[in-house]
Amino acid sequence: MSEHLLQVENLRTEFPTRDGVVGAVDGVSFYLDPGETLGIVGESGSGKSITVLSIMGLVQRPGRIAGGRVLYKGNDLVQFSQEQLQEVRGKDLAMIFQDPMTSLNPVYRSGWQVGEPLRLHRGLDRPRSLREAVSMFRKVGMPEPEQRVQSYPHELSGGMRQRAMIAMGLTTGPSVLIADEPTTALDVTIQAQILELLKKVNAEYNTATILITHNLGVVAGMCERVMVMYAGRVVEEGPTEDVFANPSHPYTWSLLRSLPRLDRDAKEPLRALPGLPPDLTDLPSGCHFHPRCPFRIDRCVDEYPPLAAVLPAQRAACWVTQAGVDLNRAGAIVG
Amino acid sequence: MLWKYALRRIIVALPVLLGVTVITYGLIYLTAGDLVPGLQLNPNLRPEDIARIKANLGLDQPFLVQYLNWLGVPWLLHQVGLWPGAVRTGLLQGDFGRSLLDGSPVMSHILERLPYTLELTSLAILVGVIVAIPMGVVGALRRGSPADHFLTSLSVVGVSIPNFWLALLLVLIFSVGAFQLGLPHLPSGGAASSVNGGDVLDRLAHLVLPTTVLAFGYLAVWSRYTRSSMLESLSQDYVRTARAKGMSERRVVYVHTLRNAVIPLVTLIGLELPTLVAGGAVVEIVFSWPGLGRLALERAVGHDYTTVMGLTLFTAVLVIAGNLLADVLYAVLDPRIRYT
Ligand SMILES: Nc1ncnc2c1ncn2[C@@H]1O[C@H](COP(=O)(O)OP(=O)(O)OP(=O)(O)O)[C@@H](O)[C@H]1O
Ligand SMILES: [Mg+2]
Repeated sequence: MSEHLLQVENLRTEFPTRDGVVGAVDGVSFYLDPGETLGIVGESGSGKSITVLSIMGLVQRPGRIAGGRVLYKGNDLVQFSQEQLQEVRGKDLAMIFQDPMTSLNPVYRSGWQVGEPLRLHRGLDRPRSLREAVSMFRKVGMPEPEQRVQSYPHELSGGMRQRAMIAMGLTTGPSVLIADEPTTALDVTIQAQILELLKKVNAEYNTATILITHNLGVVAGMCERVMVMYAGRVVEEGPTEDVFANPSHPYTWSLLRSLPRLDRDAKEPLRALPGLPPDLTDLPSGCHFHPRCPFRIDRCVDEYPPLAAVLPAQRAACWVTQAGVDLNRAGAIVG
Repeated sequence: MLWKYALRRIIVALPVLLGVTVITYGLIYLTAGDLVPGLQLNPNLRPEDIARIKANLGLDQPFLVQYLNWLGVPWLLHQVGLWPGAVRTGLLQGDFGRSLLDGSPVMSHILERLPYTLELTSLAILVGVIVAIPMGVVGALRRGSPADHFLTSLSVVGVSIPNFWLALLLVLIFSVGAFQLGLPHLPSGGAASSVNGGDVLDRLAHLVLPTTVLAFGYLAVWSRYTRSSMLESLSQDYVRTARAKGMSERRVVYVHTLRNAVIPLVTLIGLELPTLVAGGAVVEIVFSWPGLGRLALERAVGHDYTTVMGLTLFTAVLVIAGNLLADVLYAVLDPRIRYT
């Protein structure tokens, strides 16, 4: 087996709640190779954030990693002590978050915050880390970098703050950058700029990127591979082009179908996915998606399908497609 | 920037202060009647004597004139040549008038007692803050642990026990009890021993019990406040960002969380400043502490209206100063506050 940069194996993360244990991440496996961009999509609550937080060792009590491995360059991060994790976080694995408005500390200057990973991991002193912050600001396209390092977060616009967050993540030259919905809180033009920046960063620094997003258009434009999550599990995974062309899980299929497309007949109605996301404390039997699935067969109600190869490069957890059904064709009949 | 902001705040506070003087003067005017207690009861005074005394004191004038005299407005006008004849100074010149009991300036009474109150209250605030913040931090970090439950109970006790009761209890244990058992004991009252006392150690020994009592009540409130404020801060996104940078949990707490958590506490403490003078009164009385609180009680009981008035005004100034101090500190700690 070839060694991946990051390999997650059967990761399980649980939250004890009053209604029972919630398996927010329920046996997730995937890998990430150097320099590639992996997209993670899925409905709200499907476990995307908890998956990446688990990788970073950032799941807060009462949540806990109940099983699995997170191999980074061959070392299992799940077994790492807090001290060992602190060594890796912010240095090898960097993370940027959804809301740049609240993700920066309001009482410290942005340059101080951006330079902090360098002071923590590279032992730089303050003046040098500040100079580095200025040059990093320049690289991420921050206007007037010398002045901006002296600004407090509230003095920066949303786009500038997200640039600052990206600069902060990149100062130490991490090999993995995790971006959890980095553009959701920004307006459309700024979104495009930030995505462009992430693309540039990925190419220039050869940083492997995990990009979580709700926007399938973003996935199409940014990610070589995509992974679709549903109720804490990976339901489909493969090269973006293949998955978009031949969705092999009904959930992916319906996500793509709910997307407005220019090449489709304008009169053809958009279809939203019917039904509600499942309650994690009371999951449906068999395949968790079966109550909402138009392709359901009897087996789906009884047995959860394994994530298995459906097409050469594509894996999906679906009895129907594993039996050889092409959803695009069958979909035309199901309606 | 900051001084401009402070100056602006002071200017805004001036009308408030003026309002306080009107109310204070008005209340005393209404309640104290003649202002000179027992004058009518003195058989040696003829009505015309009383009238003369009142005229000397300016009490025959209408309210507004009396009030303006008391403020010292005529004196100001006199300085710029708009008022004929010599006039007395007033409040605006820092003259709070003279005590009705002993005739000495009210200000001198206040200044004589002020250091004792400041000594006691500032020490109590200091102890309160120094103990409350770690208590709150521990409670927040170990939420639900036995330590947290213990600290919570301690706070409830602290809030519920009346000051005077705790004071008496402590005196009973550490002064009387310890003395009877032949153990080293703490003084039960006063600011210094009259015999062979007055050195630093002796004065500190006198401070221990009153400071403890005062600090305990505030500590209870402030530690709860710190705890909830810490919990709030800890759940913020920037704390997650800090953790994602790979720093020790200690640094996460003390550099990235605490600073944000204490900002609202500063306001709370600033607002408590004046009540420490008033709330300190009970403690001062139980421990015979020669501070402002005890002065206020003595003078109120003795119908010394001018002194009571002076003390009321002084407290009002403290309230405003406390607010101002809190606002300025808040602005220093929180860069989001613009000095406008
Ligand atoms: N602190 C918590 N306590 C209990 N359950 C939690 C907690 N945090 C997350 N969960 C559960 O984990 C599930 C996955 O959450 P997660 O944040 O990973 O979703 P997500 O896919 O990132 O959604 P979104 O698109 O809204 O960000 C949620 O459905 C929720 O039930
Ligand atoms: Mg999320």
